[in-house]
Amino acid sequence: MLTPPQSEAGRFTRTGKLTSILGTAGIYVIIILLLLVGLGIRQLDYLSLANLRSILQAVSLLGMCCAGLAFVVFSGNMNDMSLPMTMALSGMMAIQLIPYGIVVSVLGGIVAGTLVGVINGIMIGKFRAHPIIWTLAFNLVLSGLVRAAWGGSQIYPDTIAGQNETAQATAETFNLFARTYYFDGALPLMVVVMFIMFVLAQVIFSRTTFGNKLRIVGSQYEVARMSGINTERMVMTAFVLCSLCASVAGIFYASLTKIGAYSNGEGYDFRALTAVLLGGMTLAGGKGTMVGVFGGVLVLGMLTNIMTLIGVPTFNQYVVQGVVFLFIVWLNNYLEEKRGHA
Amino acid sequence: MQKTSNALDALNRNRAYLILALVLIFALFTPRFYTMFNVRSILSGSALYTFLGVSFTLCLIAGHMDLSVGYMATTGAMVVLGMRTNSGLPWWLAILIAVGVGAIAGTINGLLVTKAKIHSFIATLGMQFVLRGSMYMYCNGAEISVRGEFTLTDAINRAPLKFLPLSNLFICTLAVVIIYLVVLRNTRFGRNVHIMGGNRETAWLAGVKSDKLTTLVFTLSGITCALGGALFAISQGTATPTLGEKGIPPLMVALTATILGGTSMAGGKGNVLKTFASILAIMAMLSVLTTRYGKFELQILFMGLALAVAVIYETLRNYARQKRVGIRPNLADEYARETGKTLHIEK
Repeated sequence: MLTPPQSEAGRFTRTGKLTSILGTAGIYVIIILLLLVGLGIRQLDYLSLANLRSILQAVSLLGMCCAGLAFVVFSGNMNDMSLPMTMALSGMMAIQLIPYGIVVSVLGGIVAGTLVGVINGIMIGKFRAHPIIWTLAFNLVLSGLVRAAWGGSQIYPDTIAGQNETAQATAETFNLFARTYYFDGALPLMVVVMFIMFVLAQVIFSRTTFGNKLRIVGSQYEVARMSGINTERMVMTAFVLCSLCASVAGIFYASLTKIGAYSNGEGYDFRALTAVLLGGMTLAGGKGTMVGVFGGVLVLGMLTNIMTLIGVPTFNQYVVQGVVFLFIVWLNNYLEEKRGHA
Repeated sequence: MQKTSNALDALNRNRAYLILALVLIFALFTPRFYTMFNVRSILSGSALYTFLGVSFTLCLIAGHMDLSVGYMATTGAMVVLGMRTNSGLPWWLAILIAVGVGAIAGTINGLLVTKAKIHSFIATLGMQFVLRGSMYMYCNGAEISVRGEFTLTDAINRAPLKFLPLSNLFICTLAVVIIYLVVLRNTRFGRNVHIMGGNRETAWLAGVKSDKLTTLVFTLSGITCALGGALFAISQGTATPTLGEKGIPPLMVALTATILGGTSMAGGKGNVLKTFASILAIMAMLSVLTTRYGKFELQILFMGLALAVAVIYETLRNYARQKRVGIRPNLADEYARETGKTLHIEK
């Protein structure tokens, strides 16, 4: 805290080439390094279509969450801790509504999930609740609600559909969501949806007034408010978009596992935040791009993939993820400070 | 008008005791609530959560959030039994090592926050995963139990006075609460923590070394949580790496009690005794719910609702106040200085 003020010149000479490279394209440098590591371990197998597809498919759920969460982080609200229950709720609603047809089922799931974001948005955007404490609290409420509503049990598409022929067909369609592939099994539907979300998010960030306003809200809330931006609506929209993406991910999760359970999205809050921060966004908000976030998602997926290939047990992977997470956040802070943005 | 708002204010400030009283009155209509055995099990059951709640309150007063309290307790629990059962060390050494590990983890948290300048919420979130993974690695995913001799387990669960439902474990808990109460209220350390949480700049101007103090707060939090976990594991005779995640997460109990107890979410204000009262209220409420409905889901729902209602209430209160004062309350002071008139603003 008692650091002497640096002179302007000192600040600039300290910015080395390495920091600027790491700052802009850092995440893709890491991706290439990881690719090399993967090649070293598995030779050319690593670059095979099957492995690349499995990496992409494994990160697609995480990617969908990140595409939404990026808005929340960008708006300076740190994290949406109710992400896991949003995913679980939308998946369970979708499965519960299967007897009414596939359209109702999917829409119901998305609406239920988005409702979480609306409530979060009203509480945090309008009434300025503490984002972490409120979303943690709401996550607990939702967890209680979901458990009480379904009696604490899991639900399955086939049993919900019952003996009804059409409902069974709907359940089949529902289960097929996560198992649809294009181009002879090269491109899963989940990956396509993830890409669409990222492209849309990138367009929103860089080409719309909403994106620009959100950047100001994220970097300087007071300035945004005083320059006439409707900050309440900006933050609300960010949370709604976040839970919209999370509920789509939740439906895919339920379709992939064929199970609707309160534990469906467990751990996604932390992993999504890790990926978003890896991608160069900062917790202070207002910094970062979707291209970077996509890189962050890829790095997290490749890290898990490589660790699994080497044979690191799941529990040890927790430690590695935690350490990587802390290291990345520290590196981000450090580089920002070096560049004089701290 | 003024009088009623004062009375309401006092009521709100002491809402932890109010909730505890309400739950206890409600419990009158629950069969077999006020039996020696039930009261003792509630009090003993609150021990672990009290340790966590007290640590969480301490951190929140200092203006930080320690999300790793739950896994810190797991660490204490696993290490103490691991050292005793697997390594065969004497109890006192095992407890010392467990507390030491907690202290180290807490200090790392503190250094991450002060030296690496990571937001406390993020630093402890990462630490949570590191601790969780390393505890799984330490025990290979299995549970560790006390083997053979249960003298300490019996001693810690025994009630020294036959006519009072106070086990030794609960007496330890009370001692910790009292120590924290005295330290936070009557020492320079406690006052500095309050100043630092209230306003970082004021603390700096007042000469408080906030970096050192923050690290110390996190270290203390780690020590308390690890000690709580260790005592809990000894009293149960077993420890699992899922202590921090099964059922209602201990972190959520600590958070709920802290917020219900009136600790300010922005820091600088809080009372350990009120947190303790809230923990007792929560444990009594869970017991009543179990007796009446016997459903685990309802416990989670009610806990969540209690926390959510408290957060909503605080938020709306803050919102109404900001509407009245404006975002910058110092403008009201300026207005008073320039015009000689004072705005009546409820702080």
